[in-house]
Amino acid sequence: MDLDKQNANPTILNPSDLPSRRRETQVKRRDDGGTGLFDDLIPPYNYLNDPFDQAISSSDSDDDAVEQIDEQEVYDLISSISDPEHPLSLGSLAVVNLPDIHIQPPTSPHSCISTVVVEITPTITHCSLATVIGLGVRVRLEQALPPRFRVDVRIKKGTHSTDEAVNKQLGDKERVAAALENGTLMGVLRKMLSTCE
Amino acid sequence: MPPPPTETPTHVLCPLATLSPPSSLRTWQTAPHPSQPIVATACSDRSVRVYSLTSFTLLHSITGGHKRSVRSVSWKPGTRGQSVLATGSFDASAGIWRKKEQTQEQDFTRRGGDGDEEEDEDEDDYQFACILDGHESEIKSLSWNPSGQYLATCSRDKSVWIWEELEDDNFETVAVLQEHDGDVKCVAWHPTEDLLVSTSYDDTVRLYRDDADDWVQVTSITGHQQTVWWAEFEGANMASIDFRKEKEGLSEQQTKYIDLLDRSGPRLATCSDDCTVRIWRRRPREHQEGVGTGIPSIIRSVTIDEDWLQEAILPQRHDRAIYSISWSQKTGLLVSAGSDGKVIIYKERWKAQALNDEVEGVDGGEGLEWALTEWVVVAELFSAHDVFEVNHVTWAARADKGKRFEDEEVVLSTGDDGEVRVWALDELASENKV
Repeated sequence: MDLDKQNANPTILNPSDLPSRRRETQVKRRDDGGTGLFDDLIPPYNYLNDPFDQAISSSDSDDDAVEQIDEQEVYDLISSISDPEHPLSLGSLAVVNLPDIHIQPPTSPHSCISTVVVEITPTITHCSLATVIGLGVRVRLEQALPPRFRVDVRIKKGTHSTDEAVNKQLGDKERVAAALENGTLMGVLRKMLSTCE
Repeated sequence: MPPPPTETPTHVLCPLATLSPPSSLRTWQTAPHPSQPIVATACSDRSVRVYSLTSFTLLHSITGGHKRSVRSVSWKPGTRGQSVLATGSFDASAGIWRKKEQTQEQDFTRRGGDGDEEEDEDEDDYQFACILDGHESEIKSLSWNPSGQYLATCSRDKSVWIWEELEDDNFETVAVLQEHDGDVKCVAWHPTEDLLVSTSYDDTVRLYRDDADDWVQVTSITGHQQTVWWAEFEGANMASIDFRKEKEGLSEQQTKYIDLLDRSGPRLATCSDDCTVRIWRRRPREHQEGVGTGIPSIIRSVTIDEDWLQEAILPQRHDRAIYSISWSQKTGLLVSAGSDGKVIIYKERWKAQALNDEVEGVDGGEGLEWALTEWVVVAELFSAHDVFEVNHVTWAARADKGKRFEDEEVVLSTGDDGEVRVWALDELASENKV
């Protein structure tokens, strides 16, 4: 795969420009016993004013299932996924971006199903790996988020030549399930996700 | 639970049981046996689980056949002295399994189970009989026709295969239908005709029939905006069972509509990723003659093409993909379920008053009868499998001790949590309606 990269010179973001929750990165973890009352006071992301902030800490992924999950946490779960053809994270390649992550609350008071919508931006418009990247994002979130979340991964509109077709594949539960039983594909996904834990 | 927004449900789905023990992995589909009180469940752990609907316990686990998820199961109808099960798997093969029925034989070696009345339970297992190879990728669905002569299978390879069992375990491919432009998600048979339906990732629904030893597509139905996940025909003779059986006080139009439905034959229900359930009706052939000229045509068209019209879109209660629907052959009620975890039950009834101006814009001239009935939601269940998706839903004859009347049915829902849940449909006393 290294021999014929589709995008040999991708734009790479400086780690300090990646969104993170300043207070929670590095060693400090959120006190899970807390009420989350002050969550609203913390800016959801804050990426231009902390040059000392480090890239996504590898220790903050699988947090508690019962606590409220916000876009930043979803971002943290998927930005550390490795690109299938570069030794770089999806966050640093700007394939996943915080403003393109949306959490939709349950549509009815009787329902407890929330939806996470992630729009990914392939590095080039004809990247055939877009499906694999999308699959990696979907699998990562399905494994890491509590089951009350439905995960919709889409290609950001206008960033890919066949975005509709890719979206349809990524949204098809049966196809995703079958793909996960495919050894070769699972090998690729495992490698992509190995940088997440 | 307070009522959902628009309509007050008249019924409620009450949990009866969860078939036990559940699978630890996702379960895809559950097929009730055509005559016995047992069901087979397709599991992603590569096995099929056979449960009793009498004791709600596991009777058999069929393993060792498939290399990937078992996606679909179908019991062969009309077998004598044995049960025959077809299994379709993501490993691209279909399996045929047989088990001798042991009638009234005492068996002292039975294990598990807490009831006294399971005569199905014995050490005899389902025997692997043969494998049907041919599909290039995952089999998504399979279905025996009502006579048991044909087995249809469909796959991600975009094809539908029809197999005919010439003698025991000797299957011949009688058709490979490659009309779809995408994965074929579901196949199902008409209750009285050799008419097959398939639904697809290409958003279409297609019908096929045998034309002089050659299976051909007779129509392609478009309307759904997304993948069509499931299709099921209405039962035969439903007019003598459902709301149509009450003939007293019907208007002339309503009588004409019943006649029209009778000439159309059993209707078709489909459900889709587009969050809709739709009902389709065949345009009766007689209606095509003499249009325009007023002179009945004596030259019959040789074509066997059919024309299926969209008759209704059911009230939209799902907000994510609808994976499955089932049409009760005892009551005419429809049930649907899907990704949002809801199970919805719909009932057809006469509209309060027929709207004479509601003429469908198609070239039919049947517009007046068109909108005489409506579908209403009679029960709405949230979180049928807690937070998990519901992959399949079906009606089955109730067989446990709590059965309240002849022909009582239960709803079986099959979920991503590996569970098959059994639901009874209870009518709410009118004073209880909130």
